[in-house]
Amino acid sequence: MSTRLRKRQLLNGKTLILLGLIGFSLVWLLPFATVALTALRSEGDMYANGVFSIPKVIRWDNLTKAWGVGDFPTYFKNSLLLILLKVPLGILVAALAAYPLAKMSFRGNSALFIFFLVGLAVPIQVTLLPLVGMMRDLGLSGSVYALIPPYIAFGLPLQILVLRGFFKLIPGEILEAARIDGASEFTIFRRIMLPLSVPALAALFILDSLSTWNEFLMALVLTSAKAARTVPLGLLAFQGEHNTQYTLLMAGVAISILPVLIIFVFLQRYFVTGLTAGAVKG
Amino acid sequence: MRKTVKSARHIPYLFMAPALAIYSVFLVYPMFDSLYLSFFEWDGLSAKKTFVGLNNYIEFFFDDQTARKATINTFVWTLGSLVIPSSLGLILALALNRGGKVSVVLRTIFYSPAVLPLVGVGLIWGWMYNPNFGVINVILKSVGLGDLAIGWLSNFNTAFAATFVTYTWAHVGFPMILYLAGLQSINQDYYDAARVDGANAWQSFRNVTMPGLTETHVIVLSLAVIHGLKVFDLVYAMTYGGPGRETQVLGTWMYFQGFQYYHAGYGAAIAWVIAAFILVLAIPYIRRMSSN
Repeated sequence: MSTRLRKRQLLNGKTLILLGLIGFSLVWLLPFATVALTALRSEGDMYANGVFSIPKVIRWDNLTKAWGVGDFPTYFKNSLLLILLKVPLGILVAALAAYPLAKMSFRGNSALFIFFLVGLAVPIQVTLLPLVGMMRDLGLSGSVYALIPPYIAFGLPLQILVLRGFFKLIPGEILEAARIDGASEFTIFRRIMLPLSVPALAALFILDSLSTWNEFLMALVLTSAKAARTVPLGLLAFQGEHNTQYTLLMAGVAISILPVLIIFVFLQRYFVTGLTAGAVKG
Repeated sequence: MRKTVKSARHIPYLFMAPALAIYSVFLVYPMFDSLYLSFFEWDGLSAKKTFVGLNNYIEFFFDDQTARKATINTFVWTLGSLVIPSSLGLILALALNRGGKVSVVLRTIFYSPAVLPLVGVGLIWGWMYNPNFGVINVILKSVGLGDLAIGWLSNFNTAFAATFVTYTWAHVGFPMILYLAGLQSINQDYYDAARVDGANAWQSFRNVTMPGLTETHVIVLSLAVIHGLKVFDLVYAMTYGGPGRETQVLGTWMYFQGFQYYHAGYGAAIAWVIAAFILVLAIPYIRRMSSN
């Protein structure tokens, strides 16, 4: 009798927690619902009936209008170009550095590792003023390419930390066997380390693409020209020009956040791996 | 034979050369160049720099009222991010630490804001806080609390808190994921042992869960401090430091001084104040990451 009672109480407790969680998740979804319900209706409909009503007509054309009026093709092109150039190059550079840090003993190993780790705590602000001058000297002033070197530099600490941790898990016997067969260190890196680290590389690839897509402050300072704007900058400029047309503005927001949301929902597994690998285990 | 040994000695450095070069040139060097610039009066454009010693730092700590406001705001923000998203993340992780489709979907929902560009997050919430048509006030009016329906971001008393609410929405997912990973690494036997000893739910939380999460706490709290002190995007996109200078934080004030007011030397000094705070407070985190 008493155990049955306890079981029932426990069950009720669990149901209550679940209901609470679902309620809380609805609050968390509210901003997404706001974007969708604003972006997909006409302005008149929005002002007459408010955000929380079923749109009279679903206005998909708000999205295409915002896409064109807001110059989003330019911003998407710039952000994608950055991702395509910066992410693979940055991860390759990080992997090259992580290999000796994980698998070779040499003078300065741990000092160099800490030297890179300190970068985790360096705020972008402290590099901005000199970077503007450096990019001017390199002839990259205001160009989207100016973002590539500092983005790689700021990505290295986390990527080296994650890849070093992952490389350490690869058994040294495999490397020894390859060395006895006459493989060079670079061959070992290319033929053994990289193929065995695909999960970590994939996780970093996705995380880094995301932070490249989202980065704002460095892009704000280093890319002044309209043609060089990345998506966050373009979105903010779009807001500046249409700050009272909320249906159009939210359509622009929807355009900017949909790619990352879709990638996140489908590749969630890699996100979790990358995040926890980076933060929890070095 | 000697030759192979000798060349082998260089190999680690060859592998590290590209990373060391990029990191040194585009992160370390500008960082120290900023320190140098912070001792000058400079407009950021002209070639003329006037050495002023520690004047920029003296201005920051003693004369600039907005810098004081921004410093207080940044620390309140950091303290808030230490307490609120972290504990909410822990509660969610405890509640969602089980199998099943529902908890996977719920985890996705709570984490999803963390992947968005913060400028987009700022614009979404700016619209939600709209005094007349924003959903916050619409909800308040519909439940009879119309008196509370104000311009959340234009009101001096609420702008800062309203911006922080947005930050919480976007930053609960990260600690939640870290705590979930931490919870899964706790050996299940300890819970069984606690149950055999007659521990109730609270006792096993206090004596098994919390000690098992020590490592995770250090990481979550360190990252909260680092992220909190760096805050920029949301404030820039939502309030631009306003109304007045009410929501200025160190990150935005550095930007305004360095790039809007042609007060670059002073901006560099503010940047170094931010960097010094973060570097000191991040020491436990970096030590933990560098130990094996």
